[in-house]
Amino acid sequence: MIGIVGAKTISGVSNMGQFARFVWQSMIASLRSCASSRTYPLIWTQMNIIGVRSVPVVMITGAFVGMTLAVQAYDQLAGMGLEEHLGILINISVVKELGPVLAAVMLAGRVGGALTAELGTMNVTEQIDAIRSMGTDPIRYLVVPRFLACLLLTPVLIIYADLMGIIGGHFVSVIQLGINSRAYWNFSANGVELWDISIGVIKGFFFGAAIAVISCYKGFTCKEGAQGVGRACTEAFVASLISILALNFALAVIFKAIYNTFWQLKSLV
Amino acid sequence: MKKKYENNLDMETCSNGMLEVKNLTKRFGTNVVLDNISLTIEKGKTTVVIGPSGCGKTVLIKHLIALLRPNSGEVYFKNRRIDNLNENELNRIRTHYGFLFQGGALFDSLNVTENIIFPIRQHCKITNWREVEELVKAKLAMVGLDGFQQFYPANLSGGQRKRVALARAIALNPEIILYDEPTTGLDPIRADVINELILKLQKELGVTTVVVTHDMTSAYKIADRIIMLHNGKIIASGDADHIRNHPHPVVQQFIKGQVSEDDLAVLRMSGTISQAQFLPRDFE
Repeated sequence: MIGIVGAKTISGVSNMGQFARFVWQSMIASLRSCASSRTYPLIWTQMNIIGVRSVPVVMITGAFVGMTLAVQAYDQLAGMGLEEHLGILINISVVKELGPVLAAVMLAGRVGGALTAELGTMNVTEQIDAIRSMGTDPIRYLVVPRFLACLLLTPVLIIYADLMGIIGGHFVSVIQLGINSRAYWNFSANGVELWDISIGVIKGFFFGAAIAVISCYKGFTCKEGAQGVGRACTEAFVASLISILALNFALAVIFKAIYNTFWQLKSLV
Repeated sequence: MKKKYENNLDMETCSNGMLEVKNLTKRFGTNVVLDNISLTIEKGKTTVVIGPSGCGKTVLIKHLIALLRPNSGEVYFKNRRIDNLNENELNRIRTHYGFLFQGGALFDSLNVTENIIFPIRQHCKITNWREVEELVKAKLAMVGLDGFQQFYPANLSGGQRKRVALARAIALNPEIILYDEPTTGLDPIRADVINELILKLQKELGVTTVVVTHDMTSAYKIADRIIMLHNGKIIASGDADHIRNHPHPVVQQFIKGQVSEDDLAVLRMSGTISQAQFLPRDFE
């Protein structure tokens, strides 16, 4: 029993160390690649695959989040005669939390799964070893373009999700539930600050980086066979999802502390 | 950094060898795959490593290019110790190698031309694409596949894939080519085409060749020297005639393809086939 616990602990710590090393190597290789024009076409290709092709799914997610929020919150606010405040509730929720988190979750499923499956298949068919045997660093060739594409485009996709969430919320609130449009936007404009939109977008950088490194790592370390690749994809999605939620919580705490310290000084100035 | 390259123990003993392995041991968990192996691969010669499946042939060949690191022992390439180099240093050394993987390991998202250009694009500054196209054409002609430039790996047969992989392996004019089971999975005629190719490349390019195989027809045809691995150790080494007449029973059993008495005993003990034929079938 003690032996099993010990072996599991050693294996866990060893995996963590391996992952930390992988992340570090990816960061260093990414910084170096920024200065090398040879990597740009690879990054461009991945931006198209990861970013451009994710736009529809992210926009649909955002729109439904906004519309659902409007339907759910209307009754509560109308009961207190505050239905015109619906805009603040929807828009703050969308730009600060639900837009970024749900867009990232969609990306973890769509992009993360594809990255793990692609790299995992390359791993089990010795294509990654082939890259190494030809004197090329597989992290620089395979991970860096995917990492940079996720890092740079997840915030942009979150902006799309936010935009569609706002439009969806407005559509249901104003057109379907009959709230005065002018009042809806006035309350929204007063309630939603640039800070709220910014933190949603900044979260995107962290979510994108987490999805990319976790998915690529799982692909690089996946076990042999179809079952190994399938399992790696599942593990990558679960790990990405938990990371997104944990990062969201940590960033919420950090941003709140920053807001309380610095942003309020703005009103004094 | 220079010191690391010159960190070899006995230059004189290494000087004849293109590659040298000293006291190499590799374990996966508690399983010892290679046990204190030492060997020298001579320059310009073809060395064939034979042995039953799972005896560590592929593990050995991957150590020769430092795709795997030993638990103990040393690997030298042209008198430079390579097993303790970091990946950046190794990447420079690996450009002197060509490696043909068992399944070809072609990049399935790239076509034949892009696969062959891959190492050139990574290590050379391309100024004239027409020259590169000519080079690809020449490499494909060497393996008898000129005209297949736009094909994707999925549209090629097993033998064609291996030949394209070989064209990619020789794209940078390597000094040494490593072949991992080059004839496995091919029909006898295609297998012989690969054998002829290995001989042709060795003759025309003067490369040092290391082949890992369990195909004795192939081994006899191409080898200057044959090494046999068994239970992680080298049990025989010499030219084809020496191996043919080797007194070791395991060597004789392997080269003649005979089943051992132990294996037969296991088969006898596992019951008769007719006992297993009366299982009820359930098609619903």
